[in-house]
Amino acid sequence: MISHHPSETTLLAYAAGSLPEALAIVAATHIGGCSACRHRLEGLEAVGGVLLDALPPSALSDDALDRLLARADEPAPALPPVVNAGLPPPLDRVPLGRWWPIGVGARWRPVQAEGAAWGGLILVQPGRALPRHGHDGLELTCVLKGAFSDGSGRYGPGDLSEPQADHDHPPVAAAGEPCLCVIASEGMRLRGLLGWGQRMFGI
Amino acid sequence: MRRKGVDHPIWHVIHPHPNHVRGSVNATAPASGASDTRPAPASPAFGVAGLVLPFRRRISPPGMTADTPASDDHAALIQAIAQRRDRLAFAALFRFFAPRVKAWMLRGGASPVAAEELAQETMLAVWQKAALFDPARAGASTWIFTIARNQRIDSLRRERHPATLLPDPVDEPEEPVQADRVLAMAQQESRIRVAMAALPAEQAEVIRKAFFEDKVHAEIEKELGIPLGTVKSRLRLAMNRLRAALGDVT
Ligand SMILES: [Zn+2]
Repeated sequence: MISHHPSETTLLAYAAGSLPEALAIVAATHIGGCSACRHRLEGLEAVGGVLLDALPPSALSDDALDRLLARADEPAPALPPVVNAGLPPPLDRVPLGRWWPIGVGARWRPVQAEGAAWGGLILVQPGRALPRHGHDGLELTCVLKGAFSDGSGRYGPGDLSEPQADHDHPPVAAAGEPCLCVIASEGMRLRGLLGWGQRMFGI
Repeated sequence: MRRKGVDHPIWHVIHPHPNHVRGSVNATAPASGASDTRPAPASPAFGVAGLVLPFRRRISPPGMTADTPASDDHAALIQAIAQRRDRLAFAALFRFFAPRVKAWMLRGGASPVAAEELAQETMLAVWQKAALFDPARAGASTWIFTIARNQRIDSLRRERHPATLLPDPVDEPEEPVQADRVLAMAQQESRIRVAMAALPAEQAEVIRKAFFEDKVHAEIEKELGIPLGTVKSRLRLAMNRLRAALGDVT
């Protein structure tokens, strides 16, 4: 049962294609398992279609159509291969780095993404805290396995956490199984994350 | 070169999944006239076999330019491409959408050359993927919007990999599309137009900027010379109104 969803503005940015890639990966991971958000997304895309219709046209060069028809037999590009079987889409096709320890009971695996946000998988042992930091910029976390809790509630598989500014309670992995999340942020960089791990866990 | 389904980006929400292959669809262009059939946010449970009806609604949307053809015509054109590689149908689709996609890319900051190339790549993808279009899941404009958006995302990467990170509905049971559901989607589509036209100008502006200019809130605020936080609240107000128009078609 998914009970935590992205905000309207985040979903709007996703629908418009303006969410930085790492954040879009986290949002897509949630949307893939959340029929409610797919429904919301399709509504926003329909708004995009209506807006596209209403845009004043900007003429192409005269031979544009002929040049395009000359390419009519080109095959469509293929999907990138599955490189991470076992992870839900789109993570299964996203290149990932190696696992890095970031302190006692936490490991980090960066995702290869371009743009103004970084992201990756984080695996946290039960009872350990997850990183959270950004008061500057958007941060999204989607739970893949296990669960964590913070001041705003409990997050289980499929749930997406989009903390508003000023969160008092750091998220802590629930008892039981380790908590695996995909996380992305516009705020702190990976170096900062490692620094956070060092401060937090004294490594 | 029918590549039905083969290269289908499995993440695309609104594209029919290869499993969702439809039965026969009326692919000849229906009568002209403004109509409104783009799809609607559809709940994930559609997209299935055989029951796609040709859209027949005729609603004149406000604020449309004179050259806005019927959107069910657009859907029929895409189907004609899918079924018989119809170049005339493609040319008609191209004349309507390519200049609009180019206009969007220009607004998004692309150079005229790059904007034209993106419009071309978008229309090429429309040609290549026409067989994946399912009018019960998305209307022509919405489908082309998502293709253009994805082309744009890919073009902004240094490394091109064809990827748009929209997951495919996998957790939904497949259900037949109901005729009244198709109708409800068509009505919903026209409600979006009406709601957009009824938005206060400043709210419509932030929505357009959010979709087509890739602006973050702070940039829009700077550009419009309005106080911090105003864009977000305008966006919220606008989205509330649009959400009300979107309603639920389930
Ligand atoms: Zn959701």
